Amino acid sequence: MKKIHLIIILSLVAFLGISAAWVISKATKSSQILPAVIKQVPEFSLVSHEGETFTRDSLLNKISVLDFIFTSCPGPCPIMSNNMSKLYKQYKLHPDLQFLSITVDPEYDSQDVLKIYAEANGVYDKRWKFLRTDMEKVKKLNSDGFLFMSDNLPAGHSVKFVLIDGEGNIRQYYNGTDEASISILRNHLNLFLTKLRS
Amino acid sequence: MKKYFRFSIISIVFTYLLIFVGGLVRVSGAGMGCPDWPKCFDRWIPPTNINQLPDYIDPEKFNLVLAWVEYVNRLFGVLVGLIILVSCIYAVLYFKNYKKVTFSIALALFFTLVEGWLGSKLVDTVLNPITITLHLLLALIIIGLIIYSSIESYYIIKGNFEKNSVYPDRIQYVILGIMTCMFVEIIIGTEIRGGLDISRKENPLIESTILLKMLGPFKYIHTILGLILLALAYYLRKIINDINSSPSDYMVYAVNAMLAIIGIQIVLGESLVFFDVRPLVQLFHMWFSSLLLGLSIMQYTCWKISNS
Repeated sequence: MKKIHLIIILSLVAFLGISAAWVISKATKSSQILPAVIKQVPEFSLVSHEGETFTRDSLLNKISVLDFIFTSCPGPCPIMSNNMSKLYKQYKLHPDLQFLSITVDPEYDSQDVLKIYAEANGVYDKRWKFLRTDMEKVKKLNSDGFLFMSDNLPAGHSVKFVLIDGEGNIRQYYNGTDEASISILRNHLNLFLTKLRS
Repeated sequence: MKKYFRFSIISIVFTYLLIFVGGLVRVSGAGMGCPDWPKCFDRWIPPTNINQLPDYIDPEKFNLVLAWVEYVNRLFGVLVGLIILVSCIYAVLYFKNYKKVTFSIALALFFTLVEGWLGSKLVDTVLNPITITLHLLLALIIIGLIIYSSIESYYIIKGNFEKNSVYPDRIQYVILGIMTCMFVEIIIGTEIRGGLDISRKENPLIESTILLKMLGPFKYIHTILGLILLALAYYLRKIINDINSSPSDYMVYAVNAMLAIIGIQIVLGESLVFFDVRPLVQLFHMWFSSLLLGLSIMQYTCWKISNS
């Protein structure tokens, strides 16, 4: 082979390498931007399926993924809880990440019902809590606290997962029934957990 | 006839560039940059601003850089498809009596369409590892077919460029041995990559090198086969350097380039295991393997021609 051919090929490979390195660094940087604060979670007081009180303070110094569900829901809730359960299992080594599911049907979802639901979803430690309060307070928390529609609860609850940072701020909403959206949540969780520990 | 040959060379170069760009999409995590297909966020030109998103797509999916990386890959894919289409037209015009040339480029064109469809399935399945593997394997089949068609057309245009060569019989076993090893090597490589992807998802925030260690025996087989390939390529070089072989220049290029690239591949592969799974190294490791497969097909075709 002529020397000039070799030089052309090597230059082309070098050019590809440099361009690729540039694209990779741009892409990595863009994926590492933490979503901005949307709003602060207001004060609240809920009771978990284990009978513990859960307040706004319980959010601090932890990363939280939160959703609104009800146990007798036939529609999206089983998909949401199944996806939450997958995250719960995947992040088993990360006690600074908690999962919170608030019932929007507190009349039916007593503490005992929530307990059974938790077991059915494979909950075996304190990282995933099922929370309840009375209907009026849930409605207020749902709409004023998390900016969801409360007109048609329980059936009309949102399918979103909410990401809350260690200071109790809402950072991003994700579609809890959509795998692509959850994979973005996973990326954000990794970023927030790394930040929390540093 | 030369027009076809020229276009087939352009097809080879652009298909290799597309394999590179496809790998780049993967290692930069841009595979879901556009959550829909073929449009990107319901637009033919991807959004440059989050306000341009349609209502039915969740806004958290928008990342400007990733959307454009993915979309450039799609556009480039269309361009390559068109180049292969033009090649195919020239093949039918000038080589219609030569089935080896026309059939293989036509098959390449068909697989290119399937490849586009598989791309849409990748988005649908949110980058299912098996679909990713199929997407790569099909790309390798396409490039193999174009290379084969191109060399066969060159043979018809230029006459038998291997007429002086006298290869010993055992060369066919060596060439086929290399091809088989390479095929297995690529399958294992994709297994390792897929396994690493799944392992990353199941064990977030654990270093990739540790996850690789957890993957089991695959990577050892990958290394051992890599070394066997190096030995085989070295042996092949010895055969064609024999005073009686008088190989064509093309055979010499293919064998020398293969030996060099296998050497580089071993270094890149081991650096992934021992240092860090760096995206750029991963990209070149995949891309060089596609070059090796092309060289292997070149050797095979040259040997076949020397027998005719």
